[in-house]
Amino acid sequence: MNKQISLGLLFGGLLLAAAVHAQQLTFVMCGGEVREADQKVIDQFQADNPGVTVEMEAVPWGTCQSRSTQLAHAGDPVSLSYMGSRTLKQLAQADLIVPVDIDPAMRGLYQPNVLKTVENQGKFWGFPHAFSTKALFINCAIVEQAGLECRGPRTWDEMYDMAKTIKDKTGIAGVGLAGKDFDNTMHQFLNYLYSNNGTVIDPDTNEITLDSKEAVETLEFYGRLADVAQDGPTAFERSQIKDLFNDGKVAMYIDGPWGRGQHNEDVQATSITVPIPAGPSGQSGTLLITDSIAVFKGTGHEDVAIKLAAALASGEAQYDLDSSWGLTPIMKYEQVIAEKPFYVDDPYWEVFVEPIAGGGPEPLFVEYQSLQTVMNEMIQGIILKEGDAADLVAEAAEALEEFK
Amino acid sequence: MSALSKLHRGTSLFAWLLILPAALYMCLIVAWPLLETVRLSFTNSALGVEDYVGAENYAKLAGSGRFHDIVLRTFYWMALSVCLKIVLGLAGASLLNSRLKGGGIYRVLVMPPWVVPIAIGCIGWLWLYQGHFGLIAGVLQRVGILDGPFEFLAYRDSAFYCAVITDVWIGTPFVTIYFLAVIQAVPRELHEAAYLDGASRWYRFRRVTIPYIMPSIAAMSLLSVIWTFNSFEIIWILTEGGPRGGTTTLIIDTYKRAIANFKFGQGAARATIIVLLLTAFSLLYLWAMAKINRRYAH
Repeated sequence: MNKQISLGLLFGGLLLAAAVHAQQLTFVMCGGEVREADQKVIDQFQADNPGVTVEMEAVPWGTCQSRSTQLAHAGDPVSLSYMGSRTLKQLAQADLIVPVDIDPAMRGLYQPNVLKTVENQGKFWGFPHAFSTKALFINCAIVEQAGLECRGPRTWDEMYDMAKTIKDKTGIAGVGLAGKDFDNTMHQFLNYLYSNNGTVIDPDTNEITLDSKEAVETLEFYGRLADVAQDGPTAFERSQIKDLFNDGKVAMYIDGPWGRGQHNEDVQATSITVPIPAGPSGQSGTLLITDSIAVFKGTGHEDVAIKLAAALASGEAQYDLDSSWGLTPIMKYEQVIAEKPFYVDDPYWEVFVEPIAGGGPEPLFVEYQSLQTVMNEMIQGIILKEGDAADLVAEAAEALEEFK
Repeated sequence: MSALSKLHRGTSLFAWLLILPAALYMCLIVAWPLLETVRLSFTNSALGVEDYVGAENYAKLAGSGRFHDIVLRTFYWMALSVCLKIVLGLAGASLLNSRLKGGGIYRVLVMPPWVVPIAIGCIGWLWLYQGHFGLIAGVLQRVGILDGPFEFLAYRDSAFYCAVITDVWIGTPFVTIYFLAVIQAVPRELHEAAYLDGASRWYRFRRVTIPYIMPSIAAMSLLSVIWTFNSFEIIWILTEGGPRGGTTTLIIDTYKRAIANFKFGQGAARATIIVLLLTAFSLLYLWAMAKINRRYAH
C-alpha cells in the first residue's frame, strides 16, 4: 500500500513538474504570415527545448502593433512580437517590454544605423529582424511609350518632368503616390525628405526639426507630384500602388527590394530600379526602417522568449530570412557566412545597399501613432490642396511637440 | 403590522429577489463600464500613465475647433442618413404593400443588404468606389461622364457622401420591413372610407397611413438615430475617417483617440460626450412620443 502511495505521489510530482516546466510562448508575427525561414528556427528551438511550445499568431500590419500593445496594457501580454521598431520607445517608456542584451560581438556585424533604431536610454529594446531601404522602380515600357529615354531621374525636377511628359503623352499616371492614412505614406514622404537633407526630430536633443526650408520644399514637391500621379492618392497606400504598377497604370513608384519579387514577369522584364532622386537641398537618400522582435514583460518566461528572439535574429538564421524574403541585408553578411552573400556584385541590390550609410532612420517618437497621424494629415493637406506647404509644415511641427 | 401589509412586504421582497440577478448583471455590464469610462475621462490615462487631471480633457474638447467640426459632421451624417433611410423605407414599404406583381420576390430582394454581414457589404462597396478597378467609375467612363479614373473615397466630399450611401443601403431594408409590417396593420376600413369620400391614393397615404403609423415612425427614427450616430464599421472599412478627417464622426474619433493612439483618458471624455448626447436624444424621444401618442392615439 505504502509503495502504491509513494508511486502515486512520485507520478503526481512528475506531472506537476512537467506542468511547471512546460512553457507556452505566444508570438505575434506582424505582416499576416509566418515566414518559412522563421518557422524553421522556431521548430528547431522547440526541438532543442523540450517542454517549450511556441504558438504563432500572424496578424496583418494594419492592426498588429495595436493588438500586441493593447494586450500588454490589459495585463495579458504576448511573449514576443515582431513589430515595427518605431513602437519600441513608447513600449519601453510604458514599461511593457524588457531590454535585451545584444552580444557585443554581434553588434559590429549590423549595418550602420540599424542598432540605433532599437536603442533608447542606452538600452536595446528588441532584436532588429528586418531592414529595408527604398528605391525608385520605373516601367520603361511606359516611359518609352511617351517618347522618353528610360533612365533614372537624378533630381526632383527631372523626375517631375518625366512624370508630366508621361501623363501628358500617354494618359498614364507618371508616378504612383501614397497618401492614405497608413504608415507607408509617411515613409514615402520621408524618403523624399531625406533626399533633401531634411529631418523630423533631432535624436540627440529631442527637438522637432521639421519646420525647415528642406521640409517645405519636400512637401511642395509632393504636392506637385500629386498633379502627375494616379487619381486620388489619398485613397492609396504602397501595396495598392504596386498593384497599379503591375497593371501598367503608373510609370514609377518607390518600394523596397522585395518589390521586384512582387511584380508581374512582364513588368519585371521592362523595369529598372534607380536611387531616389535628390532634392534641391540634398543628395539622393533613403529611409532606413527596421522591424524588431520585442519581448514583453510580465509573462514569467521572458528569459526563454529572449533566447528565441536571439535565435531568430542570429547571423545565419537572419541571412536565411533576408535572402529568401528579399530584404535589404541587415548585417554585413560578408563577415557572417562563408559563401558570397546574395547582394554582392548584383546591380539590383547595389541600389538598395549603397544608400545605407547615408540613410535616415525612422523618427523615434514616444507616440509613434500620433506622429503618423500628424505627418499623414500634413501630406494629405498638400495633396488635397487644403493649405500652403509652409503652413502645413509649421502646423505639423507644432502638433508633434506633444508626442515626442 | 397587519397580515396584509406583511404579505405585501413579503411579495415585494420576493420580487426584488427575482430581479436581483438581472440587476446585478446590468450593473456589471452597463453601470460599471459606464462609471469607469466617466472616471477615466478625468484622467490622462495612456500607456503606462494615469493621473487625475480634472476636467482638462473636456476643456480641451470645448476649445478645439477640430472637435466642433467633428460634432457638426456627426450630426450632418446622422440627419442625412436617417432622413434618407426613413423616406426610402416608407416609400419601399408602401410599394411592397401595394400588391405589385411579384411582390413576394421584391420582399426577398429588399433584404440582402441587411442580411449580408456589414463588413462584407462594405468591402463590396469599397470595390465599387475604386477609381481604377471599380464598377461605378468604369461605367461612368464608358458613358462619357468621366474622362479618367475617379477615386470616390479620395476626396472629402465624395468620400462622405459615399459613406452615407453605403449606410443607407445597409440600413434601409430593416426600416422598410418594419414599416411594411406597421402599414399592414392600418385598418382597411379607414382607407375604404376615405376612398369612398373621393380621396386620392397620395391623400390617403398622407392623411390616413402616416398619422396612423406616426408613433412607429418616431420609434424607428430614434432607433435609427442611435444606430447611425454610433455607426462605426461602415466608415472605418471605407475610409477610416479620412481623407484628412473628412469622414471622421464622433465614434471614429473616439476609437482613434482611445484605441489607435492609446489616449484612454481623452477617448473616455469623447465616449462620455456621446453617452450624454444619446441620453439627450432619448429624453427628446420620450417627450416627442408622449406628444405624438396624445395627438395620434387610435
